[in-house]
Amino acid sequence: MPLLEIRGLTVRFGGLTAVAGLDFSVEPGALVALIGPNGAGKTTAFNVITGIYAPSSGSVRFDRKEIGGVSPHRICAHGIARTFQNIRLFRSLTALENVRAAVAAAQRSGLRDVVRGPGWSQREQALEERALELLTRLGLERVADTKADALPYGEQRRLEIARALATQPRLLLLDEPAAGMNPSEKEALRGLVARLREEFGVSIVLIDHDVAFVMNLCDRISVLDHGEKIAEGPPEVVRRDPQVIEAYLGNNGESA
Amino acid sequence: MRRPWIGLVLAAALLVLLDAGLPHVLNPYYLTILTRIGVAVLAAVSLQLINGFTGQFSIGHAGFMAVGAYVSAALSVYLGAGWLVALGAVLPVPLARALYFPVPLVAGGLAAALAGLGVGIPALRLRGDYLAIATLGFGEIIRIAILNVDAVGGARGFSLTSAAQPAADLRYDGLGAIYAVVALSVLVIARLVYSTGGLAFRAVREDETAAESVGVATTRVKVEAFVVSSFFAGVAGALFAHSEGYVHTNSFAFLRSFEIVVFVVLGGLGSISGAILAATVLTAAPEVLRGLGEWRMILYSLLLIVTMILRPQGLMGQRELGPLRWLATRPRQRHAAA
Ligand SMILES: Nc1ncnc2c1ncn2[C@@H]1O[C@H](COP(=O)(O)OP(=O)(O)OP(=O)(O)O)[C@@H](O)[C@H]1O
Ligand SMILES: [Mg+2]
Repeated sequence: MPLLEIRGLTVRFGGLTAVAGLDFSVEPGALVALIGPNGAGKTTAFNVITGIYAPSSGSVRFDRKEIGGVSPHRICAHGIARTFQNIRLFRSLTALENVRAAVAAAQRSGLRDVVRGPGWSQREQALEERALELLTRLGLERVADTKADALPYGEQRRLEIARALATQPRLLLLDEPAAGMNPSEKEALRGLVARLREEFGVSIVLIDHDVAFVMNLCDRISVLDHGEKIAEGPPEVVRRDPQVIEAYLGNNGESA
Repeated sequence: MRRPWIGLVLAAALLVLLDAGLPHVLNPYYLTILTRIGVAVLAAVSLQLINGFTGQFSIGHAGFMAVGAYVSAALSVYLGAGWLVALGAVLPVPLARALYFPVPLVAGGLAAALAGLGVGIPALRLRGDYLAIATLGFGEIIRIAILNVDAVGGARGFSLTSAAQPAADLRYDGLGAIYAVVALSVLVIARLVYSTGGLAFRAVREDETAAESVGVATTRVKVEAFVVSSFFAGVAGALFAHSEGYVHTNSFAFLRSFEIVVFVVLGGLGSISGAILAATVLTAAPEVLRGLGEWRMILYSLLLIVTMILRPQGLMGQRELGPLRWLATRPRQRHAAA
């Protein structure tokens, strides 16, 4: 039984069809890649899975429940978290506050925070502890009190992952986490992604442009082009798929 | 700094005690100005919750103050006067008054909160500047509506005297009690925003899409902030009405709303201390500068312009001072310091 199961998903923006009849599923514990040239519809697929857009047609099931058109915060509560292609941190908050905000989002308690009865302080500290632990596991403990927008690019990307993990997801969607990184940073990121799957027991879908980056990392690759899935399978098979090579060379000459 | 609220409560108690003596030492003119500062501080801090912490743009705060002022005043005039007299017959008068006056404050606050719910739900579901438009409209509508209600004096203004109970003194200008209410309100707002759950307000301000993606129900959070903000604007209005003993819609025109926005922006969006500072200085400044005659408004404007040039992020940016700073620190550091 797949954790995420998308059937016949179509997303239209006016006359433009960004995603066309997509079938895509993720098994529990899987690490899969979604690749494709610019404008292929990868981010749009993420936006539908996380509730930012509603499907024009088709179904999105998570853990057997239909989540198409459900609001993003409810989808998060179901256990899906994500990062964004163009980093969306809470910029003027510290790294720790970014993660604390996510830790507490599901359990807000306005009145209790005002009255602050017995146990309140312990509870606050426990929430902070959890946030700190996440920062530590992503190697960000040193910058806990640094404002998010003062962090270097690579750390901002890791902070976004820490914030997503703070919601205790079962499915983590990473939208081009490697974008803008140099080769050694990319290598470290590959190690991190593999580790996240092990340590957090989370299923991961990763978007990238580049087959080489996801090659030895993912169990399976799905390739999107012009909103349609043109190939799917184990990395070594997908890499040699003539349609995939064609899509990449035909678009903007990026090598597959 | 162990427990700032103990200090606040003590300070409030001290001030209430002072109420008996203050009018003998301070001239009424200063008392009036100090009262107006208290009201301005509460108005500014409450607006800070929505504009500074939640990142929405409300420009009709005076409208909610008007609701609080008029509802509380009408309550006092038409019902409260009788209760006050009845209470005064069985209890010592100061005690009767201390028991009665929280009632119109809470009533004014609740009425304004209700109005806030009515304006906020439709306006905050949409992204963009709808809130600014809706609050601006609301401020004007409420003012014009009040002008046409004869039971609250219409264009003549509304005096807090009861025809049925002429003996009831519905004015309450005890500075200590007023400042105690202001301090308590500020504490409530500060605790709300400076808790882990309260990070949701700032998350919405920083990035709504990202906030939703980590589970923040952004519409709910915005409405919550707006309703709490309106509640305390209503309390400020009620304080104003009862300390002046007379209300007129002119006190709640757009210029008043604009002035409160200036407090918040000048103080620093996202700083309670900044809002307090700016509201205090800018309410006192015109009085302090009174000797300068017509140069007064020019100097006031210059003060604003120079501050915005030198400190575009406002006086305080997003920083806090004193006990507020303590409230804003990380839970573990706060615990370690306590
Ligand atoms: N909100 C929107 N309104 C209109 N068109 C949109 C919207 N979002 C995406 N599109 C269009 O849908 C198509 C798919 O975009 P999408 O962002 O999903 O591509 P992508 O595969 O993520 O590309 P990239 O690799 O450049 O990030 C593009 O043509 C894009 O312009
Ligand atoms: Mg994209």
